[in-house]
This record gives sequence, structure tokens and C-alpha cells, in this order.
Amino acid sequence: MKLSDLVGEMSNPIHFLNRPVPQELMLELLNYAIWAPNDGLREPWRFIFADNQNGGLMQGLQEPAPAYLLVVMREEADRHKREEDFAAVCCMIQNFRLLAHEHDLGVRCTLHDWMYDRSRAETFGVLGSERIAAVLELGYVTAHLKEKPEAPELQLRFELL
Amino acid sequence: MNLSELIRERRSIRKSNSRPVEQELVVELLSSAARLQPPIDAGSWRVVYAGTPEANKRLVDCMLAQMSQSKLGKLIPGKLLDVFKKRFTDIPAHVIVMSTVGPDRLTNDRNYASVCGMMQNFQLLGWERGLGMLWDTESIIQHEGFFKGIGLRKDERFVGILHLGYYDKAPRSRKRTPAEQKWTVFQGHAT
Repeated sequence: MKLSDLVGEMSNPIHFLNRPVPQELMLELLNYAIWAPNDGLREPWRFIFADNQNGGLMQGLQEPAPAYLLVVMREEADRHKREEDFAAVCCMIQNFRLLAHEHDLGVRCTLHDWMYDRSRAETFGVLGSERIAAVLELGYVTAHLKEKPEAPELQLRFELL
Repeated sequence: MNLSELIRERRSIRKSNSRPVEQELVVELLSSAARLQPPIDAGSWRVVYAGTPEANKRLVDCMLAQMSQSKLGKLIPGKLLDVFKKRFTDIPAHVIVMSTVGPDRLTNDRNYASVCGMMQNFQLLGWERGLGMLWDTESIIQHEGFFKGIGLRKDERFVGILHLGYYDKAPRSRKRTPAEQKWTVFQGHAT
């Protein structure tokens, strides 16, 4: 599938099916997703996978989902590098979202206040030198309707220098 | 080219050829890039575009303003500065991206994450059409004179410039660390 064919399809709301998410597939997709641009090839990301087949794993923190992927980022001392690294992680997550969509996997990329709470993050195995960049809520979705929803009029804010 | 090949084969392009970049194409790709995002707050980012020789010159002047005026910059021979300038003015087009600053860290991070995702879509969609890009965040351009030059507003932060151009040859890939080596499975019950 070409990327340009996905335009418009990605905005459908995501409803998860009650099916396990195989780790092997996650790794297969991530090994493509990590071809995101990243400054100095620092590859600032790391992954913590949490299966939620028994439910309730992140109750109160996240919406229910068959599985979660915590995307963890190494924190550089330099503010500018931290910003570049966060951008790189976001590009990698975007790659992953697109690839997952092709496999009928829905990805909700979420950022919440609890992720800034160090002691909370530590309970998931996040190190002191790291932070949670985002938590991905993952699950299979019904095969995507090929018909694309009516595109809302997009106000592109584009100006000339 | 399928999606995984596209993602795997895209490269950052540091050397473009002289083929012009059409503004209509840039607008089309930006619109598509935005529509590959979850229903987003379209108000959370803005783009300023430089794609004519005059606009490019203005951009390069404000990129280098700080450098040429600084103490260190005064020591840089004029010729070297010209070489530096030419490197940038030779690039056919530039997309400058800014995101809206919110009242708190979470809003800022969300807006920033969303626009970065859009920019990755844009880079991939460009690559699909043979258009190369380089995402420039050099700290040397991050100064007041530059922000003023690009018209950055009080409620905005600068995200990056994408330098756009067609290329003759894509650089070779640099090996990535396999995801398996960066993978942990959470066992416990944290909450």
C-alpha cells in the first residue's frame, strides 16, 4: 500500500477488538519504524511492552486497550538535544502508527500528566535518566472501512516569508 | 514503493540539485500530511514557506544574522561566510514550522508531538514523489534575530526548518539498533 492511499483513512475513530497483540508483530513493525530521522543517530527510544489481556493494567491512567507500548526516551542534559530527541521519537511513533494501520492494528498515541510523575514512571521500569515520551494504546480493529469519511475542510495555516 | 520500503529507504537529503520545487506540490503534501494525523487541532501549528530566490535570501540573512554579528562571527572571513550563505541559498525551498504554545507542559508536548508526526508524514509523502528533505534544528539558528525574521509569534515555538530539494543521489543508510535490543516486557502490576 502506498502512503498517499492512506490519506483520510487514519482519522477514523479507533475501537479495539478483544484479541491479543502479538509481540513478534510489534517488533517487526518497530524494526521499520526506527528508520525515523534522528539527530546524531542517537536512537533515543526504548520500548516497554505491557500486555493487558487480563485487563485493568493501567486503570485510572489510560483508556482500556488490549496492550500498551510505553515509549521511553533517554534524557540528555542539553535542552536542545532533548527537544531534538523528542521530535525523533515522535517521528518514529508516527512511522509505527502508519505501519500498524496496514495490519489492522489501531494505535492511539497518548500523552498524559501522570507520565511526568517520576515515581509513577519508575513502577513501570523507567530509569531515572529516562522519561516516558508517550504511551501507545494498541489493539486490533475491525478491518478498516475502505470508504473514507468526508474530509473535514482543513484550514492549512500556510504563509509566505 | 510500499509503506515499509518507503519508511526504510527515506534519507535526509543534504545536497539537492537545481530542479525547482513547486509551491503547489508543497501545499498539497502538507494538506495530505495533516490528514494522516488523528483528527487534529489544525490550529496547533503553522508553516511559513520560502521558495523564491528573494525569500530564500531573506531567510538565509536572518539565519546567519546572529553568527555574523557575534564576536566569534566577526572573526569568520567574509569569504567563508559567503560559502556558507551560498550553501543555503542554493536550496530550492524551505518549510519553517512553528507550533502553538499552550498554558501548560502537557499541552505543549501534545502540540509539539502532533506537529512532529505531521512533519514525518510530510517527509515520507515527499520521498514518495522524489522530493528530498533535511530537518534542520541547528542550535546556531535558534536566536532572537532569527525568530523575529521568520515572524515567530509570542504564543508559538519554533519546531524546525525542512530544507526541500530534488536530489541526484541518496546517501547510504546508517545501521539502526534492532528493536529487540531496546525491548522490555512489563511483568508486574504497577497501578
